Amino acid sequence: MSSSETVVETKGLTKRYDNFTALDSLTMRVGKGEILGFIGPNGAGKTTTIKILVGLSKPTSGTATIAGADCLSESRKIKRLVGYMPDDFGTYNNMRVCEYLDFFGAAYGIGRRARVKRIGEVLDITGATYMHDLYVDALSRGMQQRVAIARTLMHDPQVLILDEPANGLDPQARIDMRVMLLRLSEMGKTLIVTSHILPELARICNVVAMITKGKLRAFGTLDEIMRDVQQRRTFEVMLLDETQVDRVGETVGRWLQERSGDVNAGAAEVTCAKTEMMVRFSTHLNDREVAPLLSHLIGQGETVVQFREVATDLEDAFLSVANAGDRSDTESANPPESETIGSLKTGANA
Amino acid sequence: MINPVIQREFYGILRSPKAMAVLLCLTVAFSIAVLMRWPSDSSVDLSGKQSLEVFRVFGYGLLAGVVFLVPAFPATSVVNEKNQGTLALLFNSPLNAFSIYFGKISGVLLFSLLVLLCSLPASAACYAMGGIDLKSELGLLYVILALLVIQYATLGMLVSSYVQSADAGVRITYTAVLAMFFLTLLPAAFFPGAGGLLSTVTGWLRNVSPIPAVMEIMGHSGVGTAGLKIASTTSQFVGFTLVSSFVFAAITISRFNYRIFDRSKAKGVITQDRGLVARSLRRLVYIVDPQRRKPGIPWYLNPVMVKEFRCRKFGRLQWLLRLVAVCAVASVAVTFAAATSATSWGVETIGGLMVLLQVILVVVLTPSLASGLISGERDGSGWALLRLTPLSSFKIVRGKVLSVVWTLGLVLMATLPGYLIMILIQPVMWLQVNFVLICLVWTAIEALAVSAAVGSLFRSTAISTTATYVAVITLFLAPVLVWLGRDAPFGHDTVEMALLVTPVGAALSVIGAPGFENYDLLPASWWVAGIISTVMFMVLGVQVWRLTRAV
Repeated sequence: MSSSETVVETKGLTKRYDNFTALDSLTMRVGKGEILGFIGPNGAGKTTTIKILVGLSKPTSGTATIAGADCLSESRKIKRLVGYMPDDFGTYNNMRVCEYLDFFGAAYGIGRRARVKRIGEVLDITGATYMHDLYVDALSRGMQQRVAIARTLMHDPQVLILDEPANGLDPQARIDMRVMLLRLSEMGKTLIVTSHILPELARICNVVAMITKGKLRAFGTLDEIMRDVQQRRTFEVMLLDETQVDRVGETVGRWLQERSGDVNAGAAEVTCAKTEMMVRFSTHLNDREVAPLLSHLIGQGETVVQFREVATDLEDAFLSVANAGDRSDTESANPPESETIGSLKTGANA
Repeated sequence: MINPVIQREFYGILRSPKAMAVLLCLTVAFSIAVLMRWPSDSSVDLSGKQSLEVFRVFGYGLLAGVVFLVPAFPATSVVNEKNQGTLALLFNSPLNAFSIYFGKISGVLLFSLLVLLCSLPASAACYAMGGIDLKSELGLLYVILALLVIQYATLGMLVSSYVQSADAGVRITYTAVLAMFFLTLLPAAFFPGAGGLLSTVTGWLRNVSPIPAVMEIMGHSGVGTAGLKIASTTSQFVGFTLVSSFVFAAITISRFNYRIFDRSKAKGVITQDRGLVARSLRRLVYIVDPQRRKPGIPWYLNPVMVKEFRCRKFGRLQWLLRLVAVCAVASVAVTFAAATSATSWGVETIGGLMVLLQVILVVVLTPSLASGLISGERDGSGWALLRLTPLSSFKIVRGKVLSVVWTLGLVLMATLPGYLIMILIQPVMWLQVNFVLICLVWTAIEALAVSAAVGSLFRSTAISTTATYVAVITLFLAPVLVWLGRDAPFGHDTVEMALLVTPVGAALSVIGAPGFENYDLLPASWWVAGIISTVMFMVLGVQVWRLTRAV
């Protein structure tokens, strides 16, 4: 994770409703200009966290700050610092886009002339200039989403919190949304984005927080999380000739056995796919340790077309983290807070 | 096999705790009404006078119950299904349009039947007291109420098939029901014995309302029913109700196809972008053109107030101006017509009718405007977004309340020309007119306070609108029901106490409307209105505080 100026920070954030713990000691931080992907299944505690951050809910314990302002006690500052877009956008019927934006601009105390200028700017940023005179309720979901983001930008907040912005959008609208969010990030805005569409998040987020059952299971950059999550990494060796496959498979198996010191390791980890002219193996070895294998194969006279790691996507990582967290919860009825999170978290918590 | 739509609709209503509460409350209310007048001494009332007194209160109460409760269910029936997407699923099933319609309306009718069944113990008690004929009185009352239920159910379904939101369905249905219930009586009241075609038309129009038919059954006549009770109203009412129900049903069924979904989105064309001819024409037609590009909200106006005006279809200025113009013309016409063609009435009767007209307008308009002030925001994410702005909760509520105050203020002021003409006819009445206007202002404030407070208690806009209409209509109609039973079964003091609940009675009393002259309601009525309004605004304040704090 980058070490830029911290804008959003939570420490031991906990929210309980009677006996139900919606959020359990959440600690994380997001730097300026970063895009945090907030991932979790329904009921994981994402919206609770967001509500606390925007001052709509009070934590049972712990603190949350945005640009140094406490989310609970300094709500007036927070309102200026944060732009929030809820899941259903929060649009009004019978209002034109310009009237809608004008209202929120006036509510934020922006002067009349400045408001007119600002409306033009935010519609330009969100690519919604042509919607200026259209009725908000007559817009498609993708168009409403642009208007809603324009609304969050009206008062030029430092932090944008977007709840499921890609929900229900068509592929083109998703691509547009992705471009728009990256553009906002380039403008120095800090973004917190929740989504169920993990590949979308993987493309735009530089920090990811994974949360299940109110507990932060993983936090850090995508690479850091992948590294933490993956028990074994998978590599593929593409060969030129089908006849090489069995031979290379044996060589790789022996090599891994020697390196890991496990007599059973080689046979169990190597897969030969003759039709694909490929040998696949998984290992817990790191890059530095695996690299000599390629030299070894070439030294053996093998022609290697490709030697690459099979990428694990965010969905795999999330499932792995969620399952590990759930297993951990099951094993210990009341696990110590720091241990549960500490085993996986990186970056700010590391 | 039973129509699956009937099962789903009927069970759906029955499963609702609100429906159970409604049935329970009605049963208790009817029982109390009968118990209050149950003979306590050992002497037998051979004339049947006492049972008739009970029967009248019971009958009018039942009529009011039907008017309040029945429209709420069909008004949301089709539009809710349409918005949830389940109507499309039904259309995609082998069920035809008639089966779907029949299933849906049967659910509502079965529930309404339950409401009527709840009143049977009370009506049986009335009958047991003697003096009431089973067929021509008790039976006929139930026939009229059953027909009314069918008419309101078909009307609600028709409205529901046109509107785009449940809230709009409730608002328009209640407005139509109240118009059919009250407004249809007015032409006959203004032109009694006019003779010729006018008399026939006003007579037919009067019988659109169930009130004359029910009054005929109750044997009610005399003060307060002037112009309302003319022979053979029941058969005309039955005929109109059957025909109108059939027409409403036929139109609704004809819409149960692609037409109900086939609606283009608003283009958002701006007047400034149109051609010169169109621009000039619109300039002539509209004083305030709704399609003109609006300037930004000025600093001196509450942005929430402006937003409220802008995001309501019936809240935009051009609609308000039309309403005000209609009110102004109507008030002058009423005064003028009464003064020229019904001089025997006197200024008091004219004034009484104008007060009633204005109260009906306030009662119809206020819940529609004020019920969704808070619930409309809570229904979506609007409330959360408003909380995130630097606007204080006080400023938010003030803006919302002001948007209704301005509307009601304009409506009230629109009738001033009528009162001016009244003072010209009889100059000594200027003080009375002043008092009446104060009463009307208090009426509007009380209606607004009750609507805003009751509406804020619910999350769903449709439910809050229904609850608000029921609360406001009860508040304003219940004293009138008590007044109808003045002297028998209710005594003078009881009626006076009931009339104190709203300033309407005081206004009618001050203007000297027939039947209200003997009640001394000022200034107590203003105090009561002030206290009720204060309490209601406090309820609204507490509710807003509860909703705005972080929990």
